[in-house]
Amino acid sequence: MTTAAVEAEVRGEVVCIRISGEIDLANAARVQDQINSSITNDVRTVLIDLTGLDYLDSAGLRVLFTLADRLRVLQMNLDLVVPRGSPVRKAVELSGLAPVARLRSTMD
Amino acid sequence: MAPSASAEDKLRRIGFVSDSALVHLEGDALLGELLDRVRQIMNSDTAVILLLEPGSAELVAAATRGIETEVRQGVRVPLGKGFAGRIAAERRPVTLDRIDPTTVVNQLLWEKGIQALLGVPLIVGGTVIGVLHVGSLTSRRFTQDDIDLLQLAGDRMALTIQAHRSQAARAAATELQRSLLPTKLPTVPTLDFAARYVPGGGDSAVAGDWYDVFTLPSGWLGIVIGDVVGHDLPAAVVMGRLRSALRSYALETTDPADVLGRLDRKAQHFEPGMMATVLYGTLEPNFGRLHLSSAGHLAPLVAVPGERGEYPELSIDPPIGAVREAARSSTVVELPPGALTCFFTDGLVERRHQPLDVGLDLLRETVSVQRSDAVCAQVMAKLIGEDMPDDDVALLTFRRESLEETGPLDLALPAVPESLKDFRAAMRRWLSTAGADDDTTGDLLLAVGEACTNAVEHAYGPAGGTVRLRLELRGTEVLATVRDHGQWRQPRGQNRGRGILLMRKCADEVNVEQTGDGTSVVIRRDLRVGSRP
Repeated sequence: MTTAAVEAEVRGEVVCIRISGEIDLANAARVQDQINSSITNDVRTVLIDLTGLDYLDSAGLRVLFTLADRLRVLQMNLDLVVPRGSPVRKAVELSGLAPVARLRSTMD
Repeated sequence: MAPSASAEDKLRRIGFVSDSALVHLEGDALLGELLDRVRQIMNSDTAVILLLEPGSAELVAAATRGIETEVRQGVRVPLGKGFAGRIAAERRPVTLDRIDPTTVVNQLLWEKGIQALLGVPLIVGGTVIGVLHVGSLTSRRFTQDDIDLLQLAGDRMALTIQAHRSQAARAAATELQRSLLPTKLPTVPTLDFAARYVPGGGDSAVAGDWYDVFTLPSGWLGIVIGDVVGHDLPAAVVMGRLRSALRSYALETTDPADVLGRLDRKAQHFEPGMMATVLYGTLEPNFGRLHLSSAGHLAPLVAVPGERGEYPELSIDPPIGAVREAARSSTVVELPPGALTCFFTDGLVERRHQPLDVGLDLLRETVSVQRSDAVCAQVMAKLIGEDMPDDDVALLTFRRESLEETGPLDLALPAVPESLKDFRAAMRRWLSTAGADDDTTGDLLLAVGEACTNAVEHAYGPAGGTVRLRLELRGTEVLATVRDHGQWRQPRGQNRGRGILLMRKCADEVNVEQTGDGTSVVIRRDLRVGSRP
């Protein structure tokens, strides 16, 4: 079974969600649920840190697009941290997430 | 005081202890038989042996005659307390002619109605191992002759018990160690393992050397070799505990220094006084990099094809159990395809009156890159030969196959999401063997992953089917074929259809062929080109 660890931490109006491991069709739905349950409705920005992620394919991108759609309705921002040289950077760049999420290389 | 001649005579007459009938008796039966004879020569109603639990300060009833419930109830007597406790603590015979709660700890004795007791310590090599006592249900005054006779019988019994114990301990240690060494090294695609273990020829049959190889759920591989200071059963027991503790910590982190740090804290707390050297390596899922940490253990020998073996520069940190909160570090060693690694214990290279470097140089000259089993055979022949080593020798060798040996990757798995991870793991190993860099590997994992995902999601109905992946190298180009025997349907749901785009962006060429017999996706990618824009 593909495994990913999802850890969330609230910092004021920002919730920082760190995802490590791998995401594919086998665990995408579970990761989606874990992300959703860590976002409360008083948050303004959702920051997803993919630094520790080793694999992300279209099933994982679908999770991020679905999340972006939902956050737009809730008027929350979506920031994605994907360092240069990360194994998932290319998938994120090719996917066309840029209009719906802010792509950053570091947490700062 | 010297036993009287009549005491010796009495023992000899009944063939006490030396009887050949005793030779075949084991453990409890032997003690019972000895007690029957004690009861006979002492003309007593009860006879009891209590043995000191190793490592504790309590006597435990081991065998009884005439008061059978004592063993069944697991009677324990603290050292120094009551009748038996006093005999063991003061190391001298004691007689009692009043049996009540003020004189004995064990209530079974006064409940039984015993009127008089005589007990002697069981001593071997100056160490008290237990107590032997006899009791009378009628009033009786034990004489000095009785005391001498029982002490003499006790001395003989102590030797017999000790001999049986060390034999049993040795057998247990051998059995324990055998059960702790892997009977079969794991079968891991593209890796070739072999090992040797030879017990030392010294007084002890078993020392605490061990080795271990295990796969981890993350796709990493753990490789261990260790050497517990000490020998026989205590060393084998500590070795077993270290082995399973290390396996547990290996599930938590892939950093070998972190694992050894946790192992050290565990050992310091739960096994104070023990010491062991351990070399722990974790191999990345593509097998290309070995992370090493050493707790006082010799560095491994690493040989790549066409070159002489080298001992990687490794920081040798303190052994497990040596110092509190020792700083530990990890070193990364590159293992190209074909590379051979030998983990070993010092018994392989250490010889009396000979500097360690001599053995290490000989090992380096002996090892050439070939199948692991052939390497082990050659090393043992050259370094051990006809000699019986003083110390245990453990040798664990593993080798990455070269691409010529591995050939194309051909893997068929059920068309379910759970298979995707296994396809990726196999691809990572194969692509690393084929010499693909990280970017190219990432691109191919994604392109092939999408093709496999499509087959899993769209090819079959509820009855399911299989997906077959083949990877082969044509010149400098990787040709990946993903085949199923179903018919792809149109993607359903929202945010779909991104897979084909990713596939095309990550490959040089993608061809999807649909026939009546299923769908084939052929993906081509040149290894010389870096990451595609």
